Amino acid sequence: MVGFGMGSNEVMIKIESLTKSFGRIKALDDLNIEIKRGELLGIIGPNGAGKTTAIRMACCILKPDFGDIKIDGISIHEDPIRIKSMIGYLPEEPNLYERFKAKDLLKYFAELYGVPKNDINRRIDDLLELVGMTERKDDRINTFSKGLRQRISVARALVHDPEIIILDEPTMGLDPATANSIRDFVRNLKGNKTMILCTHYMAEADSLCDRVAILNKGKIIDVGTPDYLKSKIHGDVILKVRIQNLDVINNYKEQIMKFASVAAVDFVDGEYLISLKYRNEMSDIVDLFGNNVNSINTKEPTLEDVFINTVK
Amino acid sequence: MKFNLSVIMKFTSITKWEFKNTLKSKKFMMIFFLQLSVLFLMIIIFNSFVTNIESDNGISITPSLNGFASMDVLDQSGLISKSINPIINVVPLSYNSSLNNIAEGKTTGFLYVPGNVDQKIRLGQTIDMTVYLDSSDPKSSVVRDEVNSTAQIISQSYSNTLSASAVPQNTTTPTVNQESTGESLPLQIITKVMLVILLFLPLLLFGNMIIDTIVGEKERKTGEILIAMPMSQAQIIIGKSMAVVLTISLQVAMWLIILLIAGFHIDNPVLVFIFIFLTSIPIIGITSVVAAYSKNFKEAGIGLSIAYMGIVGFLIVPVLIYLSRKSFIANISPMTIVMRLFSGESISLVDYGISLATILIVSLISYWIAIKLFERDDIIFGPRPGILRLVYDLITFKKF
Repeated sequence: MVGFGMGSNEVMIKIESLTKSFGRIKALDDLNIEIKRGELLGIIGPNGAGKTTAIRMACCILKPDFGDIKIDGISIHEDPIRIKSMIGYLPEEPNLYERFKAKDLLKYFAELYGVPKNDINRRIDDLLELVGMTERKDDRINTFSKGLRQRISVARALVHDPEIIILDEPTMGLDPATANSIRDFVRNLKGNKTMILCTHYMAEADSLCDRVAILNKGKIIDVGTPDYLKSKIHGDVILKVRIQNLDVINNYKEQIMKFASVAAVDFVDGEYLISLKYRNEMSDIVDLFGNNVNSINTKEPTLEDVFINTVK
Repeated sequence: MKFNLSVIMKFTSITKWEFKNTLKSKKFMMIFFLQLSVLFLMIIIFNSFVTNIESDNGISITPSLNGFASMDVLDQSGLISKSINPIINVVPLSYNSSLNNIAEGKTTGFLYVPGNVDQKIRLGQTIDMTVYLDSSDPKSSVVRDEVNSTAQIISQSYSNTLSASAVPQNTTTPTVNQESTGESLPLQIITKVMLVILLFLPLLLFGNMIIDTIVGEKERKTGEILIAMPMSQAQIIIGKSMAVVLTISLQVAMWLIILLIAGFHIDNPVLVFIFIFLTSIPIIGITSVVAAYSKNFKEAGIGLSIAYMGIVGFLIVPVLIYLSRKSFIANISPMTIVMRLFSGESISLVDYGISLATILIVSLISYWIAIKLFERDDIIFGPRPGILRLVYDLITFKKF
């Protein structure tokens, strides 16, 4: 069971041995993870890794073939209706009822979520203001751009003030400004709500999430804080040395590995990628190459590096 | 599932919003009024058809109806039995045997003509004939009409003869002729069947609504957020279906009012409305099954055509069976009950029960299948299993 990290110690979401197949394709294979109350867990993984399947099961949209998810101690097999009422789900595509006006759409979902009648209008006004859509509240959904649809989708997912928010690729295909406003929105909710964020954008996961789980072929490959994951793969910094004469590369790798600070060495497209655990020996390593150096760069490891390294 | 008020509220919320959006839709309103216009047109055409049939010129567009109904006759003079329209099969029989036949449902009616009829005609006296009818047989109205019509024709003919005999210069031989309009159609029955078909039409005209509302969720990919709502798939299917049932009820009510205003006689319109309303529930249930299984509108359209052929057959065939054989089992079709209500027949509780039981059973089965299909991940998100696979799962209680 993978489960350590931020937030309170109280487990809000517990995924146990979750398994799901679609025909002959195994989408999830014995998935286990715990998410603490108030934590924001990012899930990253290549296409078809099983991210959407996992969160659809947490939302009780899909049923597992085996295993269980417990939300605040309640099993999805026992009381799915109760669980659904605790979750605000934003699917990957902001598909909404085209003929509805923005205000009516939120009203419809508020009624379905069982928001008390007296609170509905006030709640809708607050949310429309929060997502900057007050002026467009009487416009039909089919007049909205993708960005506006995503904003109204966020409002829809929050209309019942859920304890848990599950976001599937919330910034996918949005212009940078809209994507940033959605990220700010998530950042503001952080700590107050338990959240799961599925994303392809590593920088997004890095900047927003308390912990990140890397999912591949239906299994969690690794999970931890972004810093932990980055340090685990590359160390503190990556030294990039592009060499001039490709014929003279014979024993550089062996010599570099002799330095205590070196965690790993790769040679890719005429460039040495040297992962360093600390920076003290950097100049000594560069000296090894003598005049055979074209360029020298350093780079902080990113989640993208982690992701590529983990799923390759 | 806990059955509490909030559960009902969510189910009615879907119905309320679907119904509201339907009425708001310009496309729907256009279809709605187009259908009303077609109804008006049908009434006009039907009225002119009936008028033509009843006219002297007459038209005959139906196949032979000879022997349509049978009637036992005790008529020693042969006064009536010789002249009656051939659509009535006349069987000469004794008084008691004929009454027994009626009681046993072997014949539709029995005509008794007194033995001294020749003498009474000569003396210019009134002839009292008696017709016994099995009123539970819908063909009895045809028999009654034909006997009345024949009696009137004969009476007119004898009156003319008597008048002529009072004028010496008139030397033409009086004969008994029947005014025939080709083969007389059993108009009352046609009227009733037509009315029933007209009133059942809306049940088949709004199938596209449930297709749009369920298949549309899959095509527009909005189903995912709807399933994520704190409600069961059963509530979603029933909530959406009830919105369509409401729309159908509205249309049927309007059609009934129009027919009544147009002068059609409908006995017990409230009961007629209730029966048609109840019939719409299993029909929408069956449509929901098609919608829940279909991947897209095209597939649903094909499925709907096939399903509705079956539904129409199930509704109309028992009506025809009832008209020809007065079969007890014909009451399984609510259309038969509605036609009998139009006739002002007394319908036993058992007959009502058969029809209501059919409605209930088909409703339960169809909604159960639709809900189970909608609950399956592979139906909503794929890969969708074939029908044989579903039948196998059903038989083996696997996943279903």
